[in-house]
Amino acid sequence: MGDESTVLTAADARHLLRRTGFGAPAKDVQKILQRGDTRGSAADRLLGFKPGAFQPAGKDLRLRQNSWLKYMIGTKSPLQEKLVLFWHDHFSTAASKVGDVKQLATQNRLLRQNCKGNFRTLLREINRDPAMMEFLDTVRNRKYVPNENYGRELCELFALGVKDANGNPNYVQDDVVQLARAFTGWRIDRDKSYFDERNHDFEEDYPERGPKVVFTQTGGFGAVGRSFTTAGEGAQEIDTVVDILLAHRDSDGRSTVARRIARRLLEFFAHGAFAESTPETTAVVDAVIAASGFDSSWELQPLLRAILVSDAFYATAAAAPYGATTAKSVKWPVDFVVTTMRTVGLKPKGRETYVDGGSRRSLRSHLAAMGQQLFDPPSVFGWEWERSWITSATTLARARFARDVIMARGTGGTSFRPEKLIDLSLTAPDAILDAVTDALGISDQVTTQQRTILIDYLTDAGTRPSLDLEDEDTRNRKLHGLFGLLLQSPAYQLH
Amino acid sequence: MAITRRRFLTRSGLFAAGSVLAPSLFAHPLVRSAFAETIGDRYFISLYLDGGNDGLGTVAPIANGSSGALRAAYEQARRSGAGGLRLSPSELLGTPSGGPDMVDASSGTPIGLHPGLAGLHRLYAQGKVALIQGCGYPDYTLSHEESRAAWETGLPLQKTLPGGWLGRYLAANYGGSDIPGVNIRSSLAGEFRQSTTSVLTFDNVRDFGFPYDWNFGSDRDEKRTALLALAEDAAASAQGTLGHVGTSLRATLLSSESYPTLHDLYEADRASFDVAYDGLGTSVADDLREMAKVIYGVTTGQPNVAARFFQATNGGYDTHSDQGAGEADGQHTRLHHEIGDAIELFYQDCEDMGVADKICILVWSEFSRRVEQNDNGTDHGSQGPAFVIGGSVDGGVYGNHPDIRDASLNDDGNTRYSQAAGDPFRSTDLRDVYGTILTKWLNMPQGQVLSSILPPDTGDPAERWTAPNFDLGFL
Repeated sequence: MGDESTVLTAADARHLLRRTGFGAPAKDVQKILQRGDTRGSAADRLLGFKPGAFQPAGKDLRLRQNSWLKYMIGTKSPLQEKLVLFWHDHFSTAASKVGDVKQLATQNRLLRQNCKGNFRTLLREINRDPAMMEFLDTVRNRKYVPNENYGRELCELFALGVKDANGNPNYVQDDVVQLARAFTGWRIDRDKSYFDERNHDFEEDYPERGPKVVFTQTGGFGAVGRSFTTAGEGAQEIDTVVDILLAHRDSDGRSTVARRIARRLLEFFAHGAFAESTPETTAVVDAVIAASGFDSSWELQPLLRAILVSDAFYATAAAAPYGATTAKSVKWPVDFVVTTMRTVGLKPKGRETYVDGGSRRSLRSHLAAMGQQLFDPPSVFGWEWERSWITSATTLARARFARDVIMARGTGGTSFRPEKLIDLSLTAPDAILDAVTDALGISDQVTTQQRTILIDYLTDAGTRPSLDLEDEDTRNRKLHGLFGLLLQSPAYQLH
Repeated sequence: MAITRRRFLTRSGLFAAGSVLAPSLFAHPLVRSAFAETIGDRYFISLYLDGGNDGLGTVAPIANGSSGALRAAYEQARRSGAGGLRLSPSELLGTPSGGPDMVDASSGTPIGLHPGLAGLHRLYAQGKVALIQGCGYPDYTLSHEESRAAWETGLPLQKTLPGGWLGRYLAANYGGSDIPGVNIRSSLAGEFRQSTTSVLTFDNVRDFGFPYDWNFGSDRDEKRTALLALAEDAAASAQGTLGHVGTSLRATLLSSESYPTLHDLYEADRASFDVAYDGLGTSVADDLREMAKVIYGVTTGQPNVAARFFQATNGGYDTHSDQGAGEADGQHTRLHHEIGDAIELFYQDCEDMGVADKICILVWSEFSRRVEQNDNGTDHGSQGPAFVIGGSVDGGVYGNHPDIRDASLNDDGNTRYSQAAGDPFRSTDLRDVYGTILTKWLNMPQGQVLSSILPPDTGDPAERWTAPNFDLGFL
């Protein structure tokens, strides 16, 4: 147990860096320890970045994916990119339906600029974001027959969630129908959204549909619900809808949206178990909201800080071997790839952004095989996290990427060169193993039993008590091999 | 009670000995006979239509029939003309000559398949297709995720048991060193979810080899030994996530040493079918061919290949807009062709392998769509048709057509779920479909299905699934 003034241990520092960024290289861990950072000062430092205006460039999806990946590998604000990934998953929008990749890149910048800003602003912007309007059919939402697609996901995924913390429904089908009416008439012209009142469902034109009222059964608004009609000014209805959603209350009076967003961020940064509403998880959710005032200010930065100083976050920092109740998370594929590239100091090669070894696949192709294509989540639900990342197909894909990394023999930064990471004069197998796990930032994640297995590998089951890493063949075989085994190991897939 | 395979292995001591998958294990004659107590030498395939397949755009009334006026209701809900989704009586593929009737028995309504399903209709004419109407569950949801979860788990009202419905079956019958299932996709399908045994997931068998550093082939055995040991160590962890990653790595590493050979084997021995799948050029055809490769591997006795349960998904059914009616280039027509043509070819492939009678394919979707169309598509709906295909299937129409008459719809404009005795529009609960498969095809005793796979609902017997019927008749 601790609080914001608790000084970070080495294990805490590694955990914080892994979760808020891409990997925990030894030098970054040392910096935190030398400064004597506390939970609070470390969180403030990480959250202190000024959101960038970067927008992935390129003429097609492939190049825009490459562009974002290269940016993540080089960025000095890894937390910013973690947050953009989080929002990309939350406001899932897929290239499989949105043909115009420029719109997806624009959305990517929108998410970056608002990644730790105000949630009300973010939700308003998403409502009129061209990529989202295309993805969930707002552009096809006609006043004659309102299309329910966006209204439904706004309720189910983006704001409320299906059920509240007490298991009661947050909305009914009629709410979806009513919300769909608000979004009629929004169209895109030259990648910009605009309101076309000729296509809007004005209440006076459709008396048979009744007044535009939502949440007469849920949300704590009473039987009258809330109206979003703005006479003659239909364009404002979608902003009014955001205000109504943010005023929605769980059956115990707490803010539904604040709980959903806090819960999802805890799920992302701390552990997947926060996805389930239990008295224990809800207590943590409520505590970070109370500590940050998120349910009134809707400012994300204080909420993120509250999460990053919480016991719930640091409870998942446990070192191996893990007990039955230790909560550990599976690295997202993009985290696995970017962390590895950054940690071993490997640069992707060329416009295709490939690892210059083994199968010579592009990073995006490796990632697709691992189940994560940037800008193309599998559905409106985004990606499935935690254990769902790991199947036999994705296990092979991760192993293949690790193999390609250790086989990279390009020139300059595109070559895997462990001699830049560890001292080649080391000869003792256990010292070599220590140096490698430290370089990878996982020395707290490898157990004694796993060390025995890896030392057996280095020594060919004890027949080679010391190694000459200056010898090129030994180095390429055993040192590269050791890196490969660690990158392929079950332990490295977790964080 | 029949001895399940897992129980048999535990009892005989083979289970512990088999913690590392040895090639000899599956060749053991006693293991083979234990196998026969469950699915035996048969196969089960789950084919999911992702997005909510429009039932009325799949099977539609051709005429009003003796009661119910369903064609009139259909024409009221589905317009003709631009953006209209109506299928004309002459387009619909009804009762085939010499084949089973295609009639909704309780209302006497002649029905027909969408013209895009011509391939499936040809199999229907041979009596190999059961069309099960009105499949659904109580208190249906319009959320893709929740509804898919209801179908995947077989637990629409309360998640009282872990995993998917097939996953629970597999967990009861197979152990950690078995690999009874293959999902042709990159992620594990929800209906297969469980944590006892291994289900492989891959897009194709050929690329399923383990990636080693080929510059140092002489070190390969050492790398394999170390990696397998790391996998075993993690698999034994008390921490569930690490255990999952370890179990997956172990199963992947071992089976990656046998599955890739199935590709060349199939290509060499079954070239004409291989080319025919290429000719269809769809992802679902490719996926069914991967299953055929594995089935061919099993039938020809390849070591370490013993999968009996398969899954694939075809996407694109969330047709909120531009759904199309029966025109050749329509969106729904294309989706139907993808499925119908691929299943027909796969069936012929299995027939040629001599296993047509051993396969059972269930085609399902998370929900049907709104009875009344929108501008040019359909929003989310409730009960819809499912198909069961196979050489041992008793072809024909099962269940009742949903009551699509305007006055009968609920406030959302969807058909109602009903279990009322004597209701001519009584729904088919998805659990009766699963229960029929579990008891007739997978040989699980009904009592065990009810206690460990599909617990009945409580509540109003007219609106809940309280009286299971695991003898729908299609198997």
